[in-house]
Formats: sequence, structure tokens, C-alpha cells
Amino acid sequence: MTSLSEEVLLVVKKVRQKKQDGTLYLMAERIAWGPEGKDRFTVSHLYADIRCQKISPDGKAKVQLQLVLHTGESTTFHFANESTALKDREAAKELLQQLLPKFKKKANKELEEKNRMLQEDPVLFQLYKDLVVSQVISAEEFWANRSGGINNTDPSPYNNKQEVGISGAFLADIRPQTDGCNGLRYNLTADIIESIFRTYPAVKQKYSENVPHNLTEKEFWTRFFQSHYFHRDRINTGTQDIFSECAKQDEKGLKTLVTQGVKNPLVDLQSLEDKTLDEGYGICTTQPSTSNANKSVKDSSNSAIIKRFNHHSAMVLAAGSRRGELASDQASETSSTDGNSRDSDFFQPPVKKVKLQEAIEFEDLQRENRPKTVPLNLKKSDRYAHGPVPLQSQQYTTSQDIINSVNYIRHEMASYKPSLTQVLSSTAATSAIAALSPGGVLMQGGAQQAINQMVPTEVQGELKHLYVAAGELLRHFWSCFPVNTLFLEEKLTGHLEEMLQTAYSKFQVWQTRRMMRKT
Amino acid sequence: MKLNIEGLLVYFPYDYIYPEQYSYMLELKRTLDAKGHGVLEMPSGTGKTISLLSLIVAYQRAFPLEVTKLIYCSRTVPEIEKVVEELRKLMEFYTKETGESNNFLALALSSRKNLCIHPEVSSLRFGKEVDGKCHSLTASYVRAQHHSNPNLPVCRFYEEFDSVGRQVPLPAGIYNLDDLKAFGRRKGWCPYYLARYSILHANIVVYSYHYLLDPKIADLVSKELAKKSVVVFDEAHNIDNVCIDSMSVNITRRTLDRCQTNVDTLQNTIHKIKETDAAKLREEYRRLVEGLKEANVARETDIYLANPVLPDEILQEAVPGSIRTAEHFVGFMRRFLEYLKSRLRVQHVVQESAPQFLKDIFEKVCIDRKPLRFCAERLQSLLRTLEIADIADFSAVTLISNFATLVSTYSQGFTIIIEPFEDRTPTIANPVLHFSCMDPSIAIKPVFQRFQSVVITSGTLSPLDIYPRILDFRPVTMASFTMTLARTCLCPLIVGRGNDQVALSSKFETREDFAVIRNYGNLLLEMSAIVPDGIVAFFTSYVYMENIVASWYEQGILENIQRNKLIFIETQDAAETSMALEKYQEACENGRGAILLSVARGKVSEGIDFVHHYGRAVIMFGVPYVYTQSRILKARLEYLRDQFQIRENDFLTFDAMRHAAQCVGRAIRGKTDYGLMIFADKRYARADKRGKLPRWIQEHINDGSLNLTVDEAVQLSKHFLRQMAQPFRQEDQLGLSLLTLEQLESEEMLQKITQIAHQT
Repeated sequence: MTSLSEEVLLVVKKVRQKKQDGTLYLMAERIAWGPEGKDRFTVSHLYADIRCQKISPDGKAKVQLQLVLHTGESTTFHFANESTALKDREAAKELLQQLLPKFKKKANKELEEKNRMLQEDPVLFQLYKDLVVSQVISAEEFWANRSGGINNTDPSPYNNKQEVGISGAFLADIRPQTDGCNGLRYNLTADIIESIFRTYPAVKQKYSENVPHNLTEKEFWTRFFQSHYFHRDRINTGTQDIFSECAKQDEKGLKTLVTQGVKNPLVDLQSLEDKTLDEGYGICTTQPSTSNANKSVKDSSNSAIIKRFNHHSAMVLAAGSRRGELASDQASETSSTDGNSRDSDFFQPPVKKVKLQEAIEFEDLQRENRPKTVPLNLKKSDRYAHGPVPLQSQQYTTSQDIINSVNYIRHEMASYKPSLTQVLSSTAATSAIAALSPGGVLMQGGAQQAINQMVPTEVQGELKHLYVAAGELLRHFWSCFPVNTLFLEEKLTGHLEEMLQTAYSKFQVWQTRRMMRKT
Repeated sequence: MKLNIEGLLVYFPYDYIYPEQYSYMLELKRTLDAKGHGVLEMPSGTGKTISLLSLIVAYQRAFPLEVTKLIYCSRTVPEIEKVVEELRKLMEFYTKETGESNNFLALALSSRKNLCIHPEVSSLRFGKEVDGKCHSLTASYVRAQHHSNPNLPVCRFYEEFDSVGRQVPLPAGIYNLDDLKAFGRRKGWCPYYLARYSILHANIVVYSYHYLLDPKIADLVSKELAKKSVVVFDEAHNIDNVCIDSMSVNITRRTLDRCQTNVDTLQNTIHKIKETDAAKLREEYRRLVEGLKEANVARETDIYLANPVLPDEILQEAVPGSIRTAEHFVGFMRRFLEYLKSRLRVQHVVQESAPQFLKDIFEKVCIDRKPLRFCAERLQSLLRTLEIADIADFSAVTLISNFATLVSTYSQGFTIIIEPFEDRTPTIANPVLHFSCMDPSIAIKPVFQRFQSVVITSGTLSPLDIYPRILDFRPVTMASFTMTLARTCLCPLIVGRGNDQVALSSKFETREDFAVIRNYGNLLLEMSAIVPDGIVAFFTSYVYMENIVASWYEQGILENIQRNKLIFIETQDAAETSMALEKYQEACENGRGAILLSVARGKVSEGIDFVHHYGRAVIMFGVPYVYTQSRILKARLEYLRDQFQIRENDFLTFDAMRHAAQCVGRAIRGKTDYGLMIFADKRYARADKRGKLPRWIQEHINDGSLNLTVDEAVQLSKHFLRQMAQPFRQEDQLGLSLLTLEQLESEEMLQKITQIAHQT
């Protein structure tokens, strides 16, 4: 199984694993360990499978390195070369430190994908729990069978799912708590951070500019909450705060939004008035407009709040619909940038026409044009909900038949004469009554129909899970045919049988439990 | 359907009709028959416009000699366009029913900004710039110079129109603004001048109030409109303010400075012209001696609409000798300007009447009343003679000359107030001379006198009798119509108390009260949790809204509201508000829901409709009284009391309630629509306030909902919204609030319909 072409990056001798001396090899894609004197690796982990490495504290007697795998297992290596143990370990650690992140992304992606599949598909999740967690089959085998699903299928159907918008009040959800000594604690969750980034791209930019290099994540958010930017009622006084730039960018964004104008001419307040009075005419019944110079500080802070609210709402709204509109936005942008006003005239009318038509429409004054439909009128809604009554299609009777039969019956009734000499015997009559009364032979049909009500739901659920799990195992079983490799044969004779056995015993357990419950 | 309105065949382009529409048409027909004026109030969303158009068009067809033209005045550009579209629909119906294309010509007219197709001029953003630029390309002397110097730019669209456009009248049809532009592009004609020319022979003209009420524009555009026209003022609840605005003038120190520069420029130009072309000035002088005879003849023969700025008397006289020559006139203006400057140097507030002002000016600088009256006319003549390219630059001196003419013409109905500083900032000198009109009837008088029928209509005209009084006319019909409803789709609630029993009110004394502000916030918060989609909230003034928003922010109320809906707020910047408004609609559209905080008397409250889910609830925080400390308002109130016997409080309440009704009426735009109307002020419960609401709102306020707490209002609202959310079909309405032709003709229904109109 070892291919010799692998490049060996580091060899460390005298490494013990499970109290056995051996040699540790670090290769391009995996880490392996083989016991001394043998040319076979007993331990081999792909870097992609490794979640992290842990090292023993410096003061400890044993110099150890532990690898934790994604599956939760771990392997511990003990560096036993007395003189260079620490150095060896450091070398291995350093190298791993460089190598692991490279593979991590790939691994993470796969893992994420698996995680997502499990989360999105409750049946699969249950299956996973039944088979993998209860160790009927291993995780690899479980996924091997589905790997087609992970790697091959186009990811687009998954990405198509509706994106969750942002709550308008996400900033309000960050409630500061006092920690008792003149400090404030803000609790940030990943969701909130995501919301902040999506709503305020400027902050995201700041974050990616600063965080790994200049500031730690914590510092960044601390500054964020201290900034004037966060507290919108304070006026930006132009400090060297890193967020003052964000505020400026926001302002710019708001301005471009404003200058872009509105698409719907009916809400364009600027072109609403046909003829504004010239300067100097008219009376100002409202309070005279104050010039900016003598506006009090309070006024301008108030208007800053108002601006920020408008901006915030617009951004939240945009964040919710950004993805879908990207393409159409670009299209409209190109048309509006190259179009001078003459061109925009040509573009405008369709929107305007539609809006105007909408505005003058009186839907209730018009006779409805669409074909008249019969409204669904449910007399007994439960009958509608519980599916159709079984009915043989051949025996479908036309209304003419019904009328005929009614006439016939009426005729029969009219000419009916009891002949008391030829009535049933009393025994036959009682048996017929018995058969027709509840519990009788003829009345069992009604009881059988409710099998889903007879069995308690949890038992049903269990049975369902067992059924699905057994189905999955059988799928594994059949997928082994034709048996053309050694591995498959091994799988078939070896543990698959074992697996089926386990499944069967599980079923047994379930059944006995059920029986016990019943009695 | 075809209707029979007291013997008149009316084509109505729908299959069904609302009973109130029928009733409305009856009243309208009576008004036209009597050749008088009418005041009609009908709720918004009941198809007022189409009823008006159907009836008047039918009338025009039946009696082409009685009514030759319909002049339909509306308020905003979108409204104008809506009217034309409805008209188009009606005309299509006519063609379909009669099978012949009728030769009706109907068109919309708007300012150059909305009609210009010149590539450079139309790209300018502001209406004033467009006007100025257009003038510099189309003025007669510019074009005359162009003949000698072809390099001089002129507007090719205007040239084309001028050479051929007038020969053939605009083909019959319906022309909206875009249609005019398309037509203009096709022909290469200027749509604006084409429209202005075509309104003279059009059957229907749709344009803004200002074209008829603002003397400065009316004189240019509407002067020659036929006397046998029907004039309709739609959405006319604010018409008195439009009248007043068009006749009032404010003069600041800046105006005077700019005027000074204007006068200097004039003097220099005169000097230059005198050296090069003295004949031109002599020609002007001769013309002035002959006087304004032409205009006088035209007015007497009833061709022209009278201009209130240009009173009859001065037409009979020649321009007085003292200002006849150009230099003398400039000197005269200089003196007048100096006088105004001296008046602005006051240290205390001065209020005086026009005669007092004239007496003072005569004593101080020996300016007589007579030459002052000719000021505006004389300046126009001079500007024409001097071939001033950009009229916009001379707006200051035009303003001053208009002021001079007005102040010397009207001894009544105006007041002069000179304020050396603003009330809020007594230390900063910012003197303003307000020359304010207090009598709206002055501007509208020529309209009532000239045209045979003037109809004033709106969704909110209550109380009806006040309009004839303040506009000084005698209507032949006055009626208020209710909204017949198959289900009560409006739910007016008066919230007078908070949950803690604190009285809610926006009155001055409790304006800063935290308890009131908190309870208002609570009301909005609770409503945001139960009302689907859009909520619009109106405040009494911008300052009030700013303060409340700030303290809601501090108290964390806004954050809690944000959990339910997004918040958008009107600002004083129109572009910013438009953006917020569009986002608001987007948020309502995609189901997130939003709240719009807005201001009564603001642009949003006047021009934007919140149909269906765009406005499921309107909350009116407080009673939108006008700012009562203003001296201009006080003067007007005094005038109303003395002249029209209208008490101050009555007028103020009337004014506040019409704005409140406007605000809450924004939410209901039809019978299939529904919405809550929440009046959050305990004063609404009083009979004098409530009684001034339109009848169609008043009817639905029951005694139980007069003084609710926030919680009670929430309970009622929940119930209402749940009921309204049920499917509502046409069949539910039929026979009650929606009629077929057969139903309409039944005796029983006709009887019912007579009750819909509420005569006063």
C-alpha cells in the first residue's frame, strides 16, 4: 500500500507509539509511523484527516505529540531519543504546523459539506446516528457510498436555498452588560458579526485590513463599540478613530443612493411639483428654515440620527436582496451611466406606464376577465384532508345510473309487500346482526384502517428508523456485487455480515421491547 | 356602461359603478346646467376623476356650444398624468362603443423641465435652469441675431415648430407628457411650445393649478383660454394656500443686493445701447406713449383672462412720464431700492398696511403711487428692449418690481411685516420684509369671473361652507358624498390615553413631556407588532418629529420597533426622502414591513398615496396645527375675522383638521383597500375637532372609540385587521357599494342614491 514515489519530508527515529519503538515519517500528504525493523507502517494518517496537534507541556518528563483526528480518535507519539527528543518534537511540530493548514481547507470543506448534508437532511442524519454512531458501519464507509453525492453533484441546487435576511434590530440585540467595575461587556455572536459585515461593508473592509496584522479581533470590536460610528447620536468629530472613515464612506454611499434617484416616478418628490414658486415668492407659514450655521448641536445630532436610521434600514434591506439583484443591478447601472437624460427618457416610460396604469386601475369596477372558476367549497374539510375514499374506477356510476336506480328502488318500495312467511330464521338474523355490529366480522374493515393510530408514534418512529437503516445496509450489501476485488470480498464476508447481524439484533431488541410494552 | 344622467347620455368606461359616482355626476350636471360654480367632496378612491371626466366629456359632446373646453387643474405631475391616462381609457371606450374615432383633442401641459427634448437643455436638473436656458435659445431677439450670425446657437426644435408647427393643428387624440415628447421628437418640434399653442384649441387641458392661479404664469399661458370653459380644481383642499403663495413676496437683504447688481447691469446696458442703437430706445418710448391699449381692448372684448397683478385701471392709461424713458426708470428703481434698504435697517418688528407703506414712501423719497403701479409692466418692456438673454439673472429686480405693482394696487388684503431677526435667533440680524397676501380670493377672482363653471373638488373639503367664504364666491351646488361600503374598510380610532392613563396630546404644554413621548412610542411599537406590511406615522411638524425620534432613540424604543419593521424617516431633503420612500415601498413589497415617519403638511403627506399594503395603518401623532406664533399667520387670522367673520380658532382647527384628514386619507385609496386610521391625541375626541373631519371618516367613528388607551386600540385593531384579511370578492359588493346598470336603474336604488349626497 505504500507507494515509493512519496516524498519524505522528515524522518524522526526513536519515536514510540503504543510502547513500541519505531520511526516517524512526515511525507507530502500524510504522516506515518512504522515499528522498528519492519517496512510497513502501522500508523498512517492523511494530513487532511488531522484536526489538530497537541504537544505535552515543556516541563513534562515525556516529550509527546498528539494528533487528534476529525473522527475524534487520537494518536500519541512519544519522542524517546533522550538527547534530542525536544528538538525532534519541535521539528515535527513545526513541519506539521506548516503542512496542516494547507490541507485543512480541503478537509474543512469536505467536512463542512458533510455537516451541511446532515443538517439539511434529517433522514440522513438519523441514518448516520443509527449506523455510524452506534458503530454498525464506520464513518468512511457511510460516506464512501455517498461520496458521489458530495463531490459530483452540482452544488448549485444547495446554494439556491433562500437566504436569510438580516434582522433590522441586530444592533439592538447586542446589549451591553456592566461587568461591575466600570466596564461594559458586549456579547457578539457569529451571526451578529455576519450581520454587521453584510450591512456595513465598510466595517468588513476595515476588519480585513486591520485584524490579523494591526489589531486582534477583540481589540477591533472593542474599538468598534467605543467608536462614534456605533453610537449614532454622537456627532462625528473627526478623531483618528479608524471608523470615522466608515462614517464618511456611509455618507458617500447614502449620497450615491440619493443621486441615483428613484426608479418609480410616482414617489419622486423632486419632480412632484409642477412649478415651484420662484425664490422670494410665497409665504413661509412654517418656521423659517434655519441655515446650517446657527443650527444648534442638538439639532444636527438629531438629524444625524435620522440619517443613520434611513441608511441603516436601506442597508439592511439591500443586504437581504443583494445576491439576487446583483445581475439586474449591473444591467440597470450600465444603462443609466451611459444614458444621458435623453436616453433615460427612453428607458423610463415602461416603469412609469405600468405604475400609472396601476394607479388608475379600479379592479372592482371591472368585470373580471379571467374565466370564471368554481370556488372550492368544502362542506367537510376533514374528508378533504384525509384523502380519497377507495373507489373502484370500474364501478363509477353516472348520474343517469343513479337516477335509474333511485327510480327502481322507489318502484320496488311502492310495490313492496311483506310476505311474512318467508322471513329469515331467528338464528340467521342474530348472526347477521352480530356480524354487522362493531367488532363483528363485517365491521373489521373500519378498525384495520386505523393501524397508524393503533401503534404509538414512537414505536412507529423506531420502526421507520430501523427500516431505513436496514435498507441502507442492504444497499451496501448489494453494492458489493459483482465481487471482483479482494477488498469487496473481505467486506462482504467479514464485517458486512457482522453488520447485518448487528442490525438484526437491533431489530430483535426493538421487537422484544415492543412486545414487552404491549403486555 | 351607458348611463342616463337626467337625460344626458354618459359613457362610463366600466362595467360597474359605485352609487356615489352616479350621485356625483348628478350634482356635477346640475352645476354645469346652471352655469355656476360648485364645491363637491367625495372620498378618495371612489373614482372621482373618471366620474368628472365621463360627465364633462358627455356634456361637451351633447352641448358643444355651451361648454367648449375642460380645464382640469391638478396638483402634482403624477396626478396630471394619471388624469390623462384615465381620459385615454374613457376615449378608448367611446371609440369602442360608437365605432367611430372622435375628434377630441386632450393634452397635458407641464413646465419646460418635463417637456423639453433639447439634448442639452433637458439634461439640466432644475426647472429654473431649464427655463433660463430655453429662454436664451428661443427669445425673439436671439433668433433675430441668429439670422445675421448663424453661429449663434438657437433651439432647432423651436425653430422647426415656429416655421411649420402652427399651420396644422395637433391631430386629435390624447397626449400625455410622454406622448407630446414622442410626437415632438418625431416631427422635430418643441413639445412645450406645441402644447402651449395647442391648449387654445384643445377640448381638454390638464395642467397644474399654477397655470391658472399664479398671475405670473397665467398671464403667459392661460390668458386666451375660452370663456365657455369648465374649470376643475381637483385635490383642491389647499387651494387657498396656493392662491396666497402666488401673490406674496418676501424680500431679504440678499434680494436687495442682487437687485442692486441687476439695476447696475441695466444701466450699463442702456448706456451701451444708447451709443450703438438709440433708435431702439426711442421706439420703446413711442410704444409706451401709446400705452397698453392693445391689452385693454383684448380684455374688454373678453379675450383675455384678467391678471390680478395688472389691474384694469392701468390698462386705460399710458405709462406715466416719470418712468417712460429707460434712464428715468432705472433711476426710479434705484430710489425705490434705497428706500427698501433703509426700511430693512429697522431694529424692531414693523407691521403696516399697504396705504401706510405708500404714504411713508411718498414722504421719504417722493415716490408716487402711480408710477409704482406700472413698475412690473415697465420692467418687462425694458428687458425686452434691452434684449437681455438670461431672464433668470434678473429675478431679483423682477421680484421688486412685482412687489411695487402689488403694493400700490391693493390697499386691502395685504400686509407688510418687517422682521429684523428670526424669533429663535434674536442676536443674528436677518431682516426680511414680508409682503403677504391674506385674501386668497384676490388671485382666484379672475378665474371665477371669467369661466362659466368652476368646480372645486377633493376627498377632504370639510367643512364645505368655509371654502366659498374664504375664496369669496357663490356656489350653485355644494355637496359631500359618503363612501358606500359593503364592509367597513376604514377604522378610525382616537387614542387619548396611554396605558398608564397619561393623556396623549401634542399640545404645547406637554410637548416635552417624557410620559407623552414614551406613550407615543409605545403606541407605535405595539402597532408595529400587529399591523402587516406598511405603517405611516405623521407628526405635526418637522422639529417635533426630530425631537421625538431622538428621545425614542435614547429610550431604546426605536430599537424595539426595529425588531418588527424597518424604519424610514422623512428628511428635509427631497431627494433623500424620495430614496427613503422607495426603500419603504420595497420593504413593504418584499414582506419585511416598514414604518415611515413623516410630517403633516410635508411633501409626503400631500403627494404620495399609500395604497393597499403600502399603508395598512396611519398614525397621526398630535393635531397638526400650523405654527401659530408666526406674525403672518396672526395677521391673516385677524383679516379673516374682520372680513369674513371667521373666528381664529375655527380657522385654525379647520386648517389642522384638513391636514389631518389628508394624512389619514392617504391609506384608503379604494373600496378594496383597507386601513387603520389612528388619531393619537385626546383633542380629536372633542366635537369641534371631530365635526370638521370629512363625513366619510366621521361616520365610522363611534362613541366607543373616542378615548381609547393604547391597549384598547391594539385590541380593536387586531380584530379589524383579522376581519379585513378575509377574502373580499366583487359579489360581496354588488348591490351595496357596486352597481350594475340594471341595479342602478331600479327605483329603490335611485332613492337610496339621493341620500348619498349630503347637501349643505
